[in-house]
Amino acid sequence: MTFSWRRAAAVARKEWFHIRRDPFTLALALVLPLVMILVYGYAIDFNIKDVRLAVSDSDRSQASRRLIDTFASSDYFRVHPVASADDAVRDVAAERARTALIIPPRFEKDLLAGREGRAQVLIDGADNATVGPVSQYVGAIQTLACRRIAGADLTPSYQLRTRFLFNPELNSRWYVIPGLTVVIMAILSIFLTALTVAREWENGSMELLLSTPVQPIEIIAGKAAPYAALAMLAMAFVYIIARTVFGVPFAGHLWVFGLGCLLFLVAYLAQGLLISVVARQQTIAMQFSMLTGMLPSNLLSGFVFPIANMPAPLRVIASIFPGRYYVELLRGVLLKGVSIDILWPQFVAMAVFATLMIVLSTLRFGRRLP
Amino acid sequence: MSAPAVETRDLVVRYGDFTAVDHISFSVAPGEVFGFLGANGAGKTTTIRVLCGLLRPSAGFVRVAGRGYEDGERAIKAKVGYMSQKFTLYNDLTVAENLDFIAGLRKLDPGYYARRRRELLELISFQKGLDARVQDLSGGTKQQVSLAAALLHDPEIVFLDEPTAGVTPAGRERFWRLIRLVAGQGKTVFVTTHYMDEAEQCGRIGLMRDGRLVALDSPAGLKKSVFPEPVFEFDPLRSLSSSELSAYAAHEAFAFFESYGPRFHAAAAGPEAWARWAPELGKTFRIRPIAPSLEDVFVRVVEGRR
Repeated sequence: MTFSWRRAAAVARKEWFHIRRDPFTLALALVLPLVMILVYGYAIDFNIKDVRLAVSDSDRSQASRRLIDTFASSDYFRVHPVASADDAVRDVAAERARTALIIPPRFEKDLLAGREGRAQVLIDGADNATVGPVSQYVGAIQTLACRRIAGADLTPSYQLRTRFLFNPELNSRWYVIPGLTVVIMAILSIFLTALTVAREWENGSMELLLSTPVQPIEIIAGKAAPYAALAMLAMAFVYIIARTVFGVPFAGHLWVFGLGCLLFLVAYLAQGLLISVVARQQTIAMQFSMLTGMLPSNLLSGFVFPIANMPAPLRVIASIFPGRYYVELLRGVLLKGVSIDILWPQFVAMAVFATLMIVLSTLRFGRRLP
Repeated sequence: MSAPAVETRDLVVRYGDFTAVDHISFSVAPGEVFGFLGANGAGKTTTIRVLCGLLRPSAGFVRVAGRGYEDGERAIKAKVGYMSQKFTLYNDLTVAENLDFIAGLRKLDPGYYARRRRELLELISFQKGLDARVQDLSGGTKQQVSLAAALLHDPEIVFLDEPTAGVTPAGRERFWRLIRLVAGQGKTVFVTTHYMDEAEQCGRIGLMRDGRLVALDSPAGLKKSVFPEPVFEFDPLRSLSSSELSAYAAHEAFAFFESYGPRFHAAAAGPEAWARWAPELGKTFRIRPIAPSLEDVFVRVVEGRR
């Protein structure tokens, strides 16, 4: 009852013929990831520029103009003067502006008198995506404006200098692309294998297969192998697009990246196989794949929502799926240039998941016929 | 006499509360063409699955080609060939790829495989190229290639589960010629079918009903044992209403009365009743004595009509 490479290879070869002759599978595997990474890569941009800023300046002094200039000369805001504070609020409400700056009449007088000058910034809180970055910009500009208005008089006693490591310009694509890769490749891998075993149950070929001495583990391994090759090819395309089109850096070792990708893909291909073995029907397998492939890789991989901020039960669930480890691995390899000495827990976690999926599908395969 | 190719004693298969195969016992001699008949759901396919090593029985004794489940399913699988009713070959693969696949799964020696493949393709007089896709073959050719695939490892017994379903009459005839050839080579052929003309060609037939083996004999023997009474063909002289028909079906002169195309087959209930009613019936029907067909046997035993 030992594992036979020859039988597994026979299954793999047969599966490869199926793939080669099925344009739909090939297109799904090779074209879909490219299209998705291009569309999403361009669409999702967390860098916010040219935010419309409605400015009501009731002071019209040198100090107020300096404050406005500081906003205007940053790349982030486009100044749009309005007549009154009410107009500024109205603009924000009507979404003609995301942000408003309201400078009261006594702004400069208060400053010259040594009191605190007061101006107000209003940010559209209804649009959550812009609040964070905009308020950061406002903070930075405020410091700058303070210095410019006060001239040489004010020398701060200390300066906090912030530098961003690994992504000095905070280019959001560098952050988005690895996350996207996880979502796309997870869904793709699950779909590739989810139908293969179910299809054989449906058309009756499984019975023929089982009438030979082939063992479940040989079928599972044989089915996973060609799809792993296909998914790795798709991954190589995604990698090339990420590097050339989106200029994502690659600071680490290629072999760490390759090994990590392989582990991740095998984990999800094996999950697809398990779904296929359990479902035995293509339509059910499809729905299961959507549910277990899409949701965790989207929501629980740390790509969209930080895992550290999740409630404890969700954090536990997120730790099961390989998605989060792969996001960490990609960010580590691409941006930080760290190697396996730091990333080994991610490798181990993905390997455990992949092994578990393969063992479960082999056990569940059973020999029971319907 | 050599050991039987297939032997079962009190074989039982249960799925939960449902008993699919209920204490069946029979044996099949080497080289025999053994037919299995029964309505859908009578337990034929389940029995075949057990005999192919695909389904461990709930109880009972099974021995196939000298192997039993105590030797492991794979010991049985190595000795038998199987062709299922639902699936024959992968349509998107070529003939060669399909056969290569089976050879790989069965770990056949490459030299042996090449020889055996040539031999079998000759046997089925396969004309198309090995590179032909299965989807481009006719239904009959598909079944023949599928039979070749089941025989690739030279099994002692080959199980054919409705091998001619959906094949043209000419194709069915060719397939049965192959079955006789295979049996002539000393292999045991175990076949299920819904076609009575095919059943006629079997050495012996087992009839299954509700999981039980209700009759087992040669076609001629079955006809004799199922119809001990004289059997007649009734050709109506005028058209009959349905109420008349149901009256005849329950008539005391008949032990059996079934429509057979535009005519009827009937078995006499007993000499006295028959003598009393024959003149009367002669006014409505042209009556002639016939030998019962296998279909009559099937209808009487499997469908349980009187």
